[in-house]
Amino acid sequence: MDLAILRVASFIIVVHMSSILAEGATLFSELSNSLTVSATGADNTSPNGTKAGADELFVTWALSSAAQVDDSSYKTVELKLCFGVPSQIDRPWRKTNNVLSKDKTCGFNIGSPQPYNRAGNTINWLVRKEIPFAHYFVRAYVLDSAGEKVAYGQSSNAQRTSNLFRIEAISGRHASIDIAAAVFSAFSVISLLGFFFYEKTSTRGRKA
Amino acid sequence: MAKRSSNNLDTAVLRESRSPDVKFMKSPEAAGDQGMELPDQASGYAHRTSYSVASSENTVSIPNLQFKQFEQEQSELEDDSESEAPFSLPVDSENKAKKIKFFSAAKPHMRAFHLSWFSFFACFMSSFAAAPLLPVIRDNIDLTKQDIGNAGTASVAGSVLSRLIMGALCDIVGPRYACAFLVMLTAPAVFSMASVSTAAGFLVSRFCIGFSLATFVTCQYWMSSMFSAEIVGTVNGCTAGWANLGGGAALFIMPLIYHLFQHPLACDSFVAWRLAMFVPGMVQVASGLMVLYLGQDLPDGNFRELKEKGKQVKDSWSKVIFYAITNSKTWVFALAYGYSFGIELTIDNIISQYFYDRFSLPLHTSGVVASVFGLMNIISRPFGGFLSDWSAQRLGMRGRLWTLWISQTIGGLFCFLLGRLDQLGPVIVVMVFFSIFAEAAAGATFGIIPFISRRSLGVISGTIGAGGTFGAILTQLIFFTSPAYSTETGISLMGIMIVCCTVPIMGIYFPQWGGMLWPPSKSRNATEEKYYLSEWSKEEQEKGMHLASLKFAENTRGERGRRITPSTTNACAVTYA
Repeated sequence: MDLAILRVASFIIVVHMSSILAEGATLFSELSNSLTVSATGADNTSPNGTKAGADELFVTWALSSAAQVDDSSYKTVELKLCFGVPSQIDRPWRKTNNVLSKDKTCGFNIGSPQPYNRAGNTINWLVRKEIPFAHYFVRAYVLDSAGEKVAYGQSSNAQRTSNLFRIEAISGRHASIDIAAAVFSAFSVISLLGFFFYEKTSTRGRKA
Repeated sequence: MAKRSSNNLDTAVLRESRSPDVKFMKSPEAAGDQGMELPDQASGYAHRTSYSVASSENTVSIPNLQFKQFEQEQSELEDDSESEAPFSLPVDSENKAKKIKFFSAAKPHMRAFHLSWFSFFACFMSSFAAAPLLPVIRDNIDLTKQDIGNAGTASVAGSVLSRLIMGALCDIVGPRYACAFLVMLTAPAVFSMASVSTAAGFLVSRFCIGFSLATFVTCQYWMSSMFSAEIVGTVNGCTAGWANLGGGAALFIMPLIYHLFQHPLACDSFVAWRLAMFVPGMVQVASGLMVLYLGQDLPDGNFRELKEKGKQVKDSWSKVIFYAITNSKTWVFALAYGYSFGIELTIDNIISQYFYDRFSLPLHTSGVVASVFGLMNIISRPFGGFLSDWSAQRLGMRGRLWTLWISQTIGGLFCFLLGRLDQLGPVIVVMVFFSIFAEAAAGATFGIIPFISRRSLGVISGTIGAGGTFGAILTQLIFFTSPAYSTETGISLMGIMIVCCTVPIMGIYFPQWGGMLWPPSKSRNATEEKYYLSEWSKEEQEKGMHLASLKFAENTRGERGRRITPSTTNACAVTYA
């Protein structure tokens, strides 16, 4: 019985693996642009100036009416926060690469993967505190049942240069940190000078 | 103390007249051995201070080195109560230790040893603390590649100037205060890193922290004051090597501290890295306090008391600097050291990000892997010094030069290979070999430096040390700041540049010992004495200022290798009395 289960399980694994190898798109250019995605701030305001840790982003996606695609393989949708071109200049760690596995454009997940439906969905997402200051757009990847990317949609233009929004990050500085730094620095300098002058006067006293 | 040294002087002179054969036969060979392990870096300063101790009565003009040898013979052969010093290690006539006990913290020698390498280690850690956290910092402060490259350059730039100044400061206030001043006054820069919010602030902070790397000079100076000539080479190699570990330790420890603040203590990532910077700062302050409280400048006491005892043979600064600058070897080795030690500093700055970005390792894993490069220093730098000494025993100075050239060139080739590979496993293996050869080359450089000059030894060592950090500046500016090429291309090009900048070593030539490609000159004038006395003018020689160089020349006879056994004449003892 166990042996049979083992055989069946390994067969399933092999099929699954081969399906992954067979179906998945490895290049971004192979994906079809089938979704429309838009992002706004609270109350339908511009998302520009959204504050990390405080504000929410409202992301809407739906199947694009212009795209004539067969969406039978579309199973889940992943939303990602991606860097626009102005924030990629001189920053090779955010470089766009056509090979999907090497692409670093989209660094942050917006919410968790959701099931696909033609009418689309809207989610609101509290912008996390580790999101850095940059110009962003939102991209939605559509995954098939094997978890491979098959389609996408994004809120900016194809070149990622317009329709971007700015997120204001937290600075990470706190008054208490600044004060602690000042106190430690003062301690360092004062204890040094104190020691120096103490030794100077005590040797002078000894000699006198 | 002064009385005791004069007693030793008298007894030594007495022994000399009583039984010349036994002791004098031994000493020249001992001198030859000592010649190979001569103090590097700041022994010029150390010897000046030693004059103030032993020649306070100033009845003799004989260099102190001579008496050190007799003092050894005396304590070995006689149960003289005078050599039972209140020290836990055997000492010579200047009370410098002749042996080293790593697991002891006894006053004053071993305590000074551990204080000095640890304070240098703390400074190294602070200087490279920001490097492994760059993936977080670059997001927090919105840095570009140029900003990061410039800050990395700045982190080593400050020390070029401070290393040059620190030698003079050690002379004035002593190594203990010089070290404590540097460490305690740069600690505020480390704390200020927790408050930066712009690229400019980040750069200034790293620049100011970088000044602390001049503790290299105080470390070498302090060791040269505490340990005698025959082991000071090993001692200096150990302290420099173990302190360089600080660069590797920073890459390893900082991500761990960052994660500690991030997860168990639930801080935001942009806050956690700032808090993490407090740790190297506090370690630095603690080491400075320990140096002040527990340390001592010289075996006999502190600097201030001893300086007042007597005037030593004072040399003119301008002459010393002149002979340092006009010696072409200084510049060849400054360039070469820049491409062994300087490369090490550059790699410490960029390698963590390289693993994070190119191989997508998580932050703490990148730090651990990257730290292996710096951590190899625990054996590779002392090994380089040892290899230099070992090759000198067989081939003399030519062996030392070949050892340096071979290890540095092979290091350059491994560097070139490092940039070409894109599989993680081979990259790590190549990086380990690269670190071994590059750091061994740095250690081997300081096996040769004591022989370049006797008069200007301190300034030359300081210049070459500064050249090391200058090499780091140059490579970071050229290869890792511009967006024109990727990090891996930069690494490969740096490897090629290492090989090219090592070529000038082939041009080094000592008339009495030869060079890499030429044997020593057969002329009768090609002697060690002629070489070292060429730095002293006729008038200066008439004043007897050259005698230390003459003695030194005698000791360097061993650099001829096995071809010529050191002369066993009694010239050293009797002639200059």
